[in-house]
Amino acid sequence: MVLLTERCVELLDVSAAGLLLSDGSGALRLMAATSEATEMVELFQVQSDEGPCCDCFRSGVPVNAVDLTDESERWPRFAPVAVAAGFHAVSAFPLRLRGQVLGALNLFRTEPVMPGRADMATAQALADVATIALLQNRAITVSHELNEQLEHALNSRIAIEQAKGVIAERLTCGVDEAFSRLRRFSRNGQRRLSEVARDVVEGRLTPEEIDTIRR
Amino acid sequence: MTAQRDRERLQRIAAVVSAADASDPARAICDACVAALPVAGASIVLTAGGIPTALASSDAVAARIEELQATLGEGPCADACESGRPVGEPDLAAPRRARWVAFAPAALAAGAAAVFALPVRIGAVRLGALTFYRSRAGDLSDEQHVDARLMADVVAHVVLAIQAQAAPGTLGPALEPLVGHRAVVHQASGMVSVQLGVGVGEALVRLRAHAFAAGRELGDVAADVVARRLRLG
Repeated sequence: MVLLTERCVELLDVSAAGLLLSDGSGALRLMAATSEATEMVELFQVQSDEGPCCDCFRSGVPVNAVDLTDESERWPRFAPVAVAAGFHAVSAFPLRLRGQVLGALNLFRTEPVMPGRADMATAQALADVATIALLQNRAITVSHELNEQLEHALNSRIAIEQAKGVIAERLTCGVDEAFSRLRRFSRNGQRRLSEVARDVVEGRLTPEEIDTIRR
Repeated sequence: MTAQRDRERLQRIAAVVSAADASDPARAICDACVAALPVAGASIVLTAGGIPTALASSDAVAARIEELQATLGEGPCADACESGRPVGEPDLAAPRRARWVAFAPAALAAGAAAVFALPVRIGAVRLGALTFYRSRAGDLSDEQHVDARLMADVVAHVVLAIQAQAAPGTLGPALEPLVGHRAVVHQASGMVSVQLGVGVGEALVRLRAHAFAAGRELGDVAADVVARRLRLG
């Protein structure tokens, strides 16, 4: 992560860079920065509730300010600290994946210049790559649960298709008709379709039993 | 010069990440991978009910390669899923290692000269593989291998992010092709299990064996079973 902020400085010709991440309660915390000088740390800390990273994190879109001496109304606490640290321009790019915003990439310049279109694209690209690296680190536990849910949902759906085949073969009907009978049986017994399907596939319930519910 | 090259490389990878927001993310990611790497086609393959199933493919050749692996039960995708490591063969016509006796000639005939598969995983969770083919023999560079692994990581997060949005007990809508695409094969497994008096797992193996012996695709054989043009046993 520190490496990534250093790459920002190299590739984008900025003076300093930092990566701020949401801590789960929605507050932003500094994860990595190009400099650990106290004034820099303070600059990131003050953004836990106000500043370009906060705005960027909440809106999910990049935030830019060219002249921080003009921004004391927008960011009464952040702007003076940034100016005192010698910075004139600031940008923040969201770390996002499929609608979820995880944090922001914060770039500082000593000159009051607006980043060009190419630099903006590169900065967002760096933020995107950071998102993946980050998810890779934090998501192991959640991933296990989600993967189990995915497997369970998949297996349920597959069991229904297999049960359609079993019923169609045994009762000599089409697979659509087999599905109607399966559904009728599960509704009648107020059981989940996927459970009934699994019972059929695993031989706990015969197609003939399914067929006793008729109409 | 290097900075410019790095910048372009970065943007190609970022395009793969941005594709996750598309309405059909799996297909968009395949297309972005093909644009980012010197490959002719890409597929995202997840294991569903014991069958590697393509969630999306960038073109017909990529889809055919996945179908071959599903039928034959061997190939780079199965190896990558099983080992959790990248698997590749830069020259299917003159392979470095003798493997995939059935798959290699069939893939060559389908138009692939080189194949690569990157495991789609997060930690110990293995979901499937991101696979590529080239129409001319040749390896990817070390840098491209690194990029390809990163793209496979993107796929893993996107698949789980889609599932995270699904209602409890249901499948994420964008993952629906995993069942829909193979519905006929699962139905045929059910029918064959009755015909042979075996479990559905064994029935699938028999279906595969029949398809291989007849030189046909698993999906075609399954469609014949469901339409009652074919009985096994």
